Amino acid sequence: MMLELHAVSLALAGKVLLHPFSLDVAAGDIVTVMGPSGSGKSSLLALIGGDLPIAFQSSGDVTLDGRSLLHKPPEARRVGRLFQDDLLFPHLTVGENLLFAVPGFPKAERKAMMMTALQRAELTGFANRPPHTLSGGQRQRVALMRALLAKPSAILLDEPFTKLDTPLRVQMRDYVFAHVRERGIPALLVTHDRADAPRDGRVLEISGDGVLRDV
Amino acid sequence: MTLIRQYSGVAPLVLLFLLPLALSLVLLLPGLVDAGAFLALSQHPQLSGALRLTLLTGIASTVLSLLLAVIIVAQSNRHLQQQSSVFLSVPHLALAMGLGFLMAPTGLLARVIAVGFAGWTSPPAWQTTQDPFGFALIAALVLKETPFLVWAMASVLQQDELRQRFGREMIVARSLGHGAASAFSRIVLPQVLRRTIWPIIAVFSYGMTVVDMALVIGPTQPPTMAQLVWMDLNDGEVLINGRGAAGTLVLSGLIIAVLAVTLLLWRGLRPLQRLWLTKAARRSRNPAAFFKVVWPVWLLVYVAVIVSLVLQSVSPRWPFPDVVAPVLSMAAWLQLLRDFSPLWTSLGMALASSALSLAAVVIWTETQPQKNDRVILFAATVLLCLPALLVALGQYRLLLLVGGTGTWAGLLFAHVLPVMAYVIVMLIGPYRAFDPRWQAASHGLGASRLKYLMRVKWPMLKPPLLSSLAIGFAVSIAQFVPAQLAAAGRFSTLPMEAVTLSSGGNRALVAVYALAMMLLPLVVFVTASWASRPRWRAA
Amino acid sequence: MLNRRHLLASMSASAFVPWLGRDSFAADWGAIEAEARGQTVYFNAWAGSDSINAYIAWAGEEVKKRYGVTVSHTKITDTAEVVKRVRDEVAAGKADGSVDLVWINGENFRAMKQDKLLFGPWSEGTPNYALVDVAGKPTTKQDFSEAVDGFESPWGMAQLTFFADGAKVEKPPLSMMELRSLAEANPGRVTYPAPPDFHGTTFIKQVLYESVVDPAVFASPADASAFSSYGPVLVSALDELHKHFWRDGKQFPKAQADIINMVADGELLIGITFNPNEPANLVAAGRMPATTVAWQHRKGTIGNTHFVAIPANAKAKAGAQVLANFLLSPEAQAKKNDLKTWGDPTVLAVEKLSAEDQKLFTSVSAPGSVSLPGPALLEPHASWVALLEAAWLKRYGQG
Repeated sequence: MMLELHAVSLALAGKVLLHPFSLDVAAGDIVTVMGPSGSGKSSLLALIGGDLPIAFQSSGDVTLDGRSLLHKPPEARRVGRLFQDDLLFPHLTVGENLLFAVPGFPKAERKAMMMTALQRAELTGFANRPPHTLSGGQRQRVALMRALLAKPSAILLDEPFTKLDTPLRVQMRDYVFAHVRERGIPALLVTHDRADAPRDGRVLEISGDGVLRDV
Repeated sequence: MTLIRQYSGVAPLVLLFLLPLALSLVLLLPGLVDAGAFLALSQHPQLSGALRLTLLTGIASTVLSLLLAVIIVAQSNRHLQQQSSVFLSVPHLALAMGLGFLMAPTGLLARVIAVGFAGWTSPPAWQTTQDPFGFALIAALVLKETPFLVWAMASVLQQDELRQRFGREMIVARSLGHGAASAFSRIVLPQVLRRTIWPIIAVFSYGMTVVDMALVIGPTQPPTMAQLVWMDLNDGEVLINGRGAAGTLVLSGLIIAVLAVTLLLWRGLRPLQRLWLTKAARRSRNPAAFFKVVWPVWLLVYVAVIVSLVLQSVSPRWPFPDVVAPVLSMAAWLQLLRDFSPLWTSLGMALASSALSLAAVVIWTETQPQKNDRVILFAATVLLCLPALLVALGQYRLLLLVGGTGTWAGLLFAHVLPVMAYVIVMLIGPYRAFDPRWQAASHGLGASRLKYLMRVKWPMLKPPLLSSLAIGFAVSIAQFVPAQLAAAGRFSTLPMEAVTLSSGGNRALVAVYALAMMLLPLVVFVTASWASRPRWRAA
Repeated sequence: MLNRRHLLASMSASAFVPWLGRDSFAADWGAIEAEARGQTVYFNAWAGSDSINAYIAWAGEEVKKRYGVTVSHTKITDTAEVVKRVRDEVAAGKADGSVDLVWINGENFRAMKQDKLLFGPWSEGTPNYALVDVAGKPTTKQDFSEAVDGFESPWGMAQLTFFADGAKVEKPPLSMMELRSLAEANPGRVTYPAPPDFHGTTFIKQVLYESVVDPAVFASPADASAFSSYGPVLVSALDELHKHFWRDGKQFPKAQADIINMVADGELLIGITFNPNEPANLVAAGRMPATTVAWQHRKGTIGNTHFVAIPANAKAKAGAQVLANFLLSPEAQAKKNDLKTWGDPTVLAVEKLSAEDQKLFTSVSAPGSVSLPGPALLEPHASWVALLEAAWLKRYGQG
């Protein structure tokens, strides 16, 4: 499994955000893209995920396993997302949030998958709790488990640690990286904080002129 | 593909709303050049009296409603928006009828005073309805419009980011030595007023042009301009019809003129405003006790209105000064049940028009970029601020032109136009404000667009979706003028039946219809708020 | 469609052709009844009164049963609305109009007849028309001095009548002068509905009749220059009355129905009606006490006939004629005449009916029946109405 960006560029209202660049993310790798806010790093994830607003112009291609993603509807791309906010659906319980991501299996099997995910989130017994009763770290763990339950072929991490305080942040990084690696899928992390990047992963930075360089 | 989707998404709103509205307004244009009609109008003996009365009732009701709404909103109450929305469901006509039954010389109030204190045996010579200055009409309008303005202001105050900002600004102002009232009126109020200018204009326009309420509770000699115009429009003589159309245009011009003068005054008084806004802080001024009871009193008056309607509805003969009629009878209620058709027509129109409007607006927002919203928001605002009479007249001409009077489709169209305007204004803000990341997150989990809409977006947007459906329903139930014109006598709705009955003097039956008009929207409101209650209390 | 309309017109016109015998006439009527079967007649009729609405509902059921004609009562507040609607529809070229039959008389009839908004002539061709008392009730041929000419079918008789609770008004005022004295003694307890409510307009006509020497001038079409001398007379007479009226004559109730409620409540002393049997009807319905008395002015009050007419663009013209004919039948007229249902006086010549039919019209005096009757005075020509109403509005329309 490989996520490949071929000569991708991004512009907004005629202003170039990202000059054409290419990037390969191999299965199990976590590549970090850094840049200040407004540099277009989140828009890059939106392009891959399929929700780039119409106002943006883009060129180039994005492939997953050699197949182009850009013309597929977002839900067919099998690209998972984690955001700054956990985005757990507030009207669904923790368990229902997880079930939402489980593809169509028999009911009992789906439930079993949900229970396993809860266990791995260290939240056994939380299935019927509303999301807002969980702590920030707990919610982010559920969000990760939910993303992984959908069996994504790649995962995009959009500053998922920014809103956590420092001790929790360290814990969450380790937790997220461990689970993503265990799944063996390519992962692309964007952040403005160098400390968020995994020690051993590749790190690139968007410079002020919109060029992507290795750090 | 996306283009096709984008264009087909425009279709419902264009066909149901923008196009008919534009055509209706265009069809009014020939009236502008009918000099004879304007001449006839200028010779109408009641013209100057009617204009004076209309200015008095329109301006007084708007100013009073605004004042009271500000007082109520200043007594910050977290549930204000929800509470005021219940009042929105009460149709104007039903309220006017109920208020009439409460306040008239033979009304419940006079009976209670007669029996309890005064010992009257015949009704007092009160001029509490149909008084020459239109005070009863003003009272009915204030009673109805204040909650609407409270609702509009509370909606502004409860937008998250504004609420937080206003909260911080209040703290700053108070740390600078201003009392709560002073800080609110100088800091928050001007910002809220700027954001509620359209609802205020709509209230003014409504007060200036209301027909059904004025027919029930307004003065007759002279009548308000709207009544005068309505009678002319319904006359059997062509010339008089033309005079009515000219009167409608004059009334619209009057509204615009008053708004323009207000704007100029506002601009001219700006130095004074600055002076006041920057005046030294006042510590002691805390709201008077009277202010605190305004909102509870509101509830009380509505309850009294409903009580007198209920009593009236079961009292076929009710000699003065009995507080309870000698014989109570359900005959009037049975009559409503016997002739179900107005009830069904109203119910059907309300359900269909609110559902169609909701669907059209949702389709629009799901297919159109946000920048296009300007068009429909503009059209809806224009519709709400134009005199309802004017729009209804244009609508009627359009229906006549296409042979749609007296048909179901024509009647539905007459209801959809005003309903759509309210649904647009109510829904588009919250719908657009929905965080697009929910969609990205859902698609990231492999959910299709349909699954995302059905399981995530619409359930999370249930409160605004259902409340705009309920408002649309209430607006539809209350339509009188456009419905009366479009129905061509073929159909009867609750307000049409109620106005007809009120000319016949069977007060029990009138009360039954007024109550039915109140109950239907209330049921929908209660159901909507029950259905959109949060699954659990947010932290 | 055009052909059928021609056919219908010729059928009803045939009633006027003297050499056509009764048999061919019956055959024509048979054709109308045949065509009417299955039609729906939208009968536009004032619907402020429960007893009237109930009567129309009854007539509708009977016509459905006997002739297969469905009647839908379009409830209206003011007949002028119907005139306007028909005019708008005809102007817009709508051939299948929304009105099939309309309850009408006076200036509304005149307006529709003059502007060719009515179908006809047809009314004298209905079988039951032969029973109408055209000789004894001339207003069945002259509606507000406008010739009927077969464009509307008589339905009921009306005469301005006053009523009061006899316990409160011992001596009914039998003239406007006496009414003024009563109002003076009981300030604020007498009034009339504001024109253009037709009770109000009729009250004004009555005041005019009692203020001029020779009311006969009003039988001919209005004359604006002549009115310049009558106008001031009317105004000064009304001024005298208004001084003592409800709210000093500055506001008026909107409808006659309000007056009835106000009399029943005791807010007013004197009630006004156009139906001489309405007071008795109100007593029977328990809305007025049994001590109620009704009267007409000594020198007479204005009386007229109300009719039903078919608009020119009516869709169910045959059905409308069948309904109009049924409304003229002795059975329907007798039921209408009955105090327990409506109490509206018949237009038929009862004495010419068969003995059996005559029995239907049992006239018993009930509490509230007119005890002091006066002669019926002819309405002024319909064209005076606009002048009278304008003069009234100018003087009293501004509070």
